[in-house]
Amino acid sequence: MLELVDISKRFKKIEAVKSLNMFIEQGEIVGLLGPNGAGKSTAISILSTLIEPTQGDVRFLKESVIKKPAPLRKAIGVVPQEIALYPQLSTEENLLFFGRIYRLKGSKLKQRVNEILELIGLTEKRKALVDSFSGGMKRRLNIGVAMLHNPQILIMDEPTVGIDPQSRSYILETVKRLNKEHQMTVVYTSHYMEEVDYLCDRIYIMDQGNLIASGTKEEIKQILSSENTISIQADRWNSKFIAQLKGHESITKVHVEGDEITLITPKEVNLFSEIISMTEEYGIALRSLHVKSPTLEDVFLHLTGRALRD
Amino acid sequence: MKGILLARVREFIRNPFTFLLFTGMSIVFAWVISSMNVGGGGGGLPVPVYVEEEADSYQSSLEQQEAFQFYPVDKETLEAELREGEADTGVILYENRFDILVGVESPNAGLIQQTVQKVYTTDIQETLIGDAADAAGMEADQAVSAYKETLSDGTFDLTVNSFSGEESWKYDDNVHRIGGFALFFAIYTIAYGVVKILTEKRMGVWDRIILSPVKKSEMYIANLLYSFIEGYLQILIIFSVFYFWRGITFNDQMIEILLMLIPYALAIVAMSILITALVKNVEQFNAAISIITVSLAMIGGAFWPLEIVSNPVLLFLAKLNPIKYGLDIIQGAAVYGYSFTELLQPISILTLMAVLFTGIGIHLMEKRHI
Repeated sequence: MLELVDISKRFKKIEAVKSLNMFIEQGEIVGLLGPNGAGKSTAISILSTLIEPTQGDVRFLKESVIKKPAPLRKAIGVVPQEIALYPQLSTEENLLFFGRIYRLKGSKLKQRVNEILELIGLTEKRKALVDSFSGGMKRRLNIGVAMLHNPQILIMDEPTVGIDPQSRSYILETVKRLNKEHQMTVVYTSHYMEEVDYLCDRIYIMDQGNLIASGTKEEIKQILSSENTISIQADRWNSKFIAQLKGHESITKVHVEGDEITLITPKEVNLFSEIISMTEEYGIALRSLHVKSPTLEDVFLHLTGRALRD
Repeated sequence: MKGILLARVREFIRNPFTFLLFTGMSIVFAWVISSMNVGGGGGGLPVPVYVEEEADSYQSSLEQQEAFQFYPVDKETLEAELREGEADTGVILYENRFDILVGVESPNAGLIQQTVQKVYTTDIQETLIGDAADAAGMEADQAVSAYKETLSDGTFDLTVNSFSGEESWKYDDNVHRIGGFALFFAIYTIAYGVVKILTEKRMGVWDRIILSPVKKSEMYIANLLYSFIEGYLQILIIFSVFYFWRGITFNDQMIEILLMLIPYALAIVAMSILITALVKNVEQFNAAISIITVSLAMIGGAFWPLEIVSNPVLLFLAKLNPIKYGLDIIQGAAVYGYSFTELLQPISILTLMAVLFTGIGIHLMEKRHI
């Protein structure tokens, strides 16, 4: 349905996206995962025809849309990372304004505005000024505006940044519902692994402009099928202990985050007894030690040596 | 396009404070400064005068003087105004002499004395000539007229040149202050309207509209048209306030002046889009617009008449300045009574600026992906 073919984008000296290939089929939720600065927003801007790639092609229904973007623009609704709304206007006025620019009129426009208000749960706030909204309510309206013209594909660029857990959950459920009930195709970018894990059928993982992995969740997690992810938790760490872990010949990756250390090791190696004796040697009060099911975060750690939020 | 304009109008209704602030400031500045210079109206520095009986003829002669505005008061008021510092200098007129009362030492006292002295001398001379003519059996009025005619012919031929031709330089302080401040503050209103394009681009609203069926040209036109209307409305309000409230007639050419100022407002819209295209963010724009606007006002003659400037560099820079041409239109029509055809030059230059700056500004903005 929608394809990025060997896309690269260079801004002066920075190559934001390098040879990216991506496809999106009708009715699926595709996740674009990566840390800040990975090139996700640039890829999304190219996908939605807002910027032209330095190289490569964007195809919608097998037709190139770089020079003729109108058919794709008609089919997509874009939820930008920024709150792209008029803060001095009310919820309803914002929806009416953006509806009108999509040539919706009269009773059809009013009906659509009511449907969107219902969908995003802001019916009771229709007369309230956007300026008075919480971050979560603004994000919900930001999504609602992109839905006004009933697009086939919803492109969402980090739609849950900086909001409370309840609003995040509401947004995730809304996206899920749109996909299930309205068969809406969704492209969802995030640096929150759990969001992508929860929502998406297929995932593309980007880092520093490169596509480093792609496939279904299961396929991606298979990358770690020959390895174990070991989690160690303790109250505090000893730098010599961490150094010894990093220097261990059977440990391929070590990541320390707060009171947890994550290790990637070959499946055939059992390090449990060795780790326990090391904690005793360095006087570390161990709280837990277990093998985890691999997560997308672990895959990213395995592929880049860094955590998604680093 | 209609939708964008409506949204901007709604935003304006919700938050008209910037517009009201700049409109109010223009009115207050023009009013306060004009009042400081001209008193209750008319021209010149206000000077209170107490007139004794038999000295009425001197008072009417003094009221015709342009440099000072002599206004009649009773003796107590005169003394009170001097005592309380409301007036620097006062005058008491008697039948054959006058007193100058100085409350605060100022260079004006000497000038006032000279002016009053001249009125007395002229009147006494004319009386003496009339008396002499009577004594000689001639018509007194004819003798005085012949004397005045000879005086007006002058001893020497004098040629005076001004920027606008052979006429001497005329100046109306009220018109200049109102025009100067109206044009100066309109720049802020227009510029803060145009910069919303930059704000909307940063917010992502612009991208949303780009993805809709609305054409980019419609987006620019709607935003620029709105900024023009806002700035022009401000100029219109300021002129109307002074016309209806302060009775300043602008030589009965207010409507013509306002129509001829349309290219000025367009040129400022165009200049703002050019500045918007050259900066990277709103903070830079705010800093740039403050510096540029004040410089334009000083160089363009918004605060003082350009006729008192002699530096050739400043005069050259003034020629690149829209405020100068805006003021040329206002002064030309309100002070010199020029028609549209005679003011075609400043109108054309402003129109050219509008076209040129808009073209370069939008081109740069698109090229730089601001």
